[in-house]
Amino acid sequence: MKRTVLSLLFAASLSAQVAPPPPAAPREAKLPQPVEKTLANGLRVIVVPKHDIPLVAARLLIKAGGAADPADREGLASLTATVLTQGTKTKSAEQIARDVEALGATLTSDAGWDSTSVNLSVMSSNLTAAMAYVADVARNATFAKDELERERAQAIDSLQVALTEPRPVAGMVASRLIFGDAPYGHNLGGTPVSLGKIGRTDLVQFHATHYRPDNAVLVLAGDVKAEDAFKLAESQFGAWKSSSRRVDESTSRRVAESTSSSKTRRLEDSKPRVVVIDMPESGQAAVVVGRQGIRRTDPAYLTAQVANSVLGAGYSSRLNQEIRIKRGLSYGAGSSFEPRVDVGPFTAGTETKHESAAEVAGIVVGEMSQLSAAAVPEAELTPRKAALIGGFAQSLETTSGIVTRVSSLALYGLPLSDINRYVSGVQAVTAADVQKFAASNLGGKDVNVVVAGDASKFVEPLRKQFGEVEVIKPEELDLSSPTLRVRKAKR
Amino acid sequence: MRLARIALLLLIATAASAATTIPPIAYKHRVLPNGLEVYSVQDRSTPTVAIHVWYRVGSKDDPQGRSGFAHLFEHIMFKSTKNMPAEMMDRLTEDVGGFNNATTFDDSTAYYEVVPSNYLETLLWAEADRMGALTVDEGSFKSERDVVKEEYRYRVLAPPYGKLFYALVEQSFAAHPYKRPGIGSIEDLDAATIADVKAFHSTFYRPDNAVLIVAGDFEQQQLDGWVDKYFTPIARPATEIPRVSVQEPPRTEEKRITEYAANVPFPAVGMTWLTPRARDHADAVPLFVAATILAEGNSSRLQEKLVRGEIAQEAFADADLKEDLGLFGIVAIMGSGKQPAEAEKLIRAELAALAEKPVSAAELEKAKNLILTSALRERETSNGKGFSLGEALILHHDAAFANAGLARVQAVTAADVQRVTKKYLIEGKPVVITYLDESAKPAGGAQ
Repeated sequence: MKRTVLSLLFAASLSAQVAPPPPAAPREAKLPQPVEKTLANGLRVIVVPKHDIPLVAARLLIKAGGAADPADREGLASLTATVLTQGTKTKSAEQIARDVEALGATLTSDAGWDSTSVNLSVMSSNLTAAMAYVADVARNATFAKDELERERAQAIDSLQVALTEPRPVAGMVASRLIFGDAPYGHNLGGTPVSLGKIGRTDLVQFHATHYRPDNAVLVLAGDVKAEDAFKLAESQFGAWKSSSRRVDESTSRRVAESTSSSKTRRLEDSKPRVVVIDMPESGQAAVVVGRQGIRRTDPAYLTAQVANSVLGAGYSSRLNQEIRIKRGLSYGAGSSFEPRVDVGPFTAGTETKHESAAEVAGIVVGEMSQLSAAAVPEAELTPRKAALIGGFAQSLETTSGIVTRVSSLALYGLPLSDINRYVSGVQAVTAADVQKFAASNLGGKDVNVVVAGDASKFVEPLRKQFGEVEVIKPEELDLSSPTLRVRKAKR
Repeated sequence: MRLARIALLLLIATAASAATTIPPIAYKHRVLPNGLEVYSVQDRSTPTVAIHVWYRVGSKDDPQGRSGFAHLFEHIMFKSTKNMPAEMMDRLTEDVGGFNNATTFDDSTAYYEVVPSNYLETLLWAEADRMGALTVDEGSFKSERDVVKEEYRYRVLAPPYGKLFYALVEQSFAAHPYKRPGIGSIEDLDAATIADVKAFHSTFYRPDNAVLIVAGDFEQQQLDGWVDKYFTPIARPATEIPRVSVQEPPRTEEKRITEYAANVPFPAVGMTWLTPRARDHADAVPLFVAATILAEGNSSRLQEKLVRGEIAQEAFADADLKEDLGLFGIVAIMGSGKQPAEAEKLIRAELAALAEKPVSAAELEKAKNLILTSALRERETSNGKGFSLGEALILHHDAAFANAGLARVQAVTAADVQRVTKKYLIEGKPVVITYLDESAKPAGGAQ
């Protein structure tokens, strides 16, 4: 597909028009500089001082998340994180909420795929008082039965809501198609059925196994001096002992197996599927195209980011150009790599009226292929890199943004000095790098396609484009099964 | 003529708990001869700058039979102008490491960009250019209108509770154009024409109806020079700017509605009451604090009673203050097996309690600390400071409110909270919408 990029920007061009004034010389940005220390119990503490606003963001990062969910306990990491703040040995859930909020602070905890985060945002004068609650919930959560029941009911209710919406449904189905029965294949929050199976012992065990100082990182950014932060960490977490239990063997084996098997699957067993979830009453169709992506530690990480910036990150990326700007088919279209400890997903998606779902799916797959079919012109590559670098700089302007960036480096065992290398690393990526990367990682052929919406309006054109299409009704959908279908023989 | 004035830096709010002071937004203000108001806030800590242009025109100004037009127009502002082809704003922002966006409110429309500061002059030129004139063509107009129709589906039709929030807006005002949801309707969007676009621009997009806010890394003299160079030549039209003069009548009785929609997994209830104008601070600020006491944070009253009490899975309370009368809204999405009537009863009991018994000093301070911390988060970026100033100007008619507002929050007493709860939420008449799945609709019964 031919694309033109306005490259005559700063030259006086079209006749009667006036060109914009050109930019002045840029000013160098100062990047935040993390300092760190490891406590005797193995807790790594990283501080990024930034004193312009009297605010501190902090995260206690536990290096275990949904990937460690046992196969029959999907959603365990997530539920553990939710119940974590609901009561400790000395404080009830109500007390914790009341005390933390009295400090003007917000305390949340949630699980990702590779990690669990306990997050704090607080004015700096109340940091010491608020950090005590982070430590208390992480170390002394009791996972009381009634709190578990309450949070389970809440989680099931919100899943029921999500399951009526095309977007989340398409996303959950895509994960299953991309990863099969490997750990990243299930829904992070579980399913109503899997949540029903989780008992208090599961939470207690997950907590004892993974929430330990030698498996955690404490990151603070904002209006706090490094030495004060280290002292605070020592006073709140210094006496935290790792339980004698090593990381549960069955869990580690499961992750290890899946790591090797996902490689295998990628080479041999990747029969892509086209799946329609028939939701005739939904107000719009959601389209998700997905395949396996890369690990966070992949040397091609920055190349992937640049390729994705061209394809689907930001307003002017190709997907949004083609789908929204040129054709008016959606409010927005985009894509992302989500690199993880193991190979994470690549997904591209958008929402559109039911009638145009097949057309949009075709555009997405076509644009993915195009990235390896032809080198990205320099006039396009340069601004897409600039957009990526700008987004990086913006993310470092807030305390919570800094915490997110730094935690991610720590989680994946990458040097914190990578912050200083990001800009030059992105600049160094060439069009040839992108094309080569796209050829093996963004091929349009071996992709899964999911469309959730009113099937009667798009299933025929979808078949014409993609051949075999599986149509599943919501009541037949089983997100816990790689087949995606409820097995009727059971029950 | 240059009228420079430095905001008084005396209004520093102090958190009651400790010595945290909120750094005030230190701005400069001037007015150009053509009526354009200019605010600037210098912060050279990072080499980026935020440029905001707020126009005093919003969804309440949608032309008759054209609901959603102000918002559609906002999208068209990114198409071609005298000197810029369509999407050039993206070339000047995203392509150089910045971003742009715009938001249409009931009372205003805000356009904003954040760019590396060496592009400040370029963006001032661009904002001046689109303030001057649009040259949109039929093709890009229709295509963008389709985008907005997809946005309508995305926001209203696809989410299970989208139509509840839409109905709450429609049902809450009897006369004021605030009753038209800003996103509009498919039919009204289809009726819009290029002629409407041209008329709207020449009526409302003019220097004496706009505020330019620049926050971040700049050199003051240079900024002032660029502003003079690019904005001063824009003519101030002689015509008067039309203003909405419709007065919303007081509600004389409670209004109850049942709304049915497809795909509603759990019922919900939404209630609204009319509030005073945002700038009627004596009552509006305590109402804002009351909303925080009711629903901000897990230990707030409604979260404890409704969500922790397992009646609702989600509960919100919000004082949506506007230039004219606003709405105090409470929404509860029920938990499995629970009925909206249970939530409504609890909500009313909580409102009665808040009106009858003074809130404790600790609970009041908690609410104030939450508001303060959230203001701090907004001030972390230059863009956030731009929003604080823009909102103060539009809703409070006073930029100084960006700083003074926090002091006003600190000054709210338990008696204030009691008084406004009684006046607006107990004596005021609610609109109550019960939101149910279509399957609950009585056969043959028309609602």
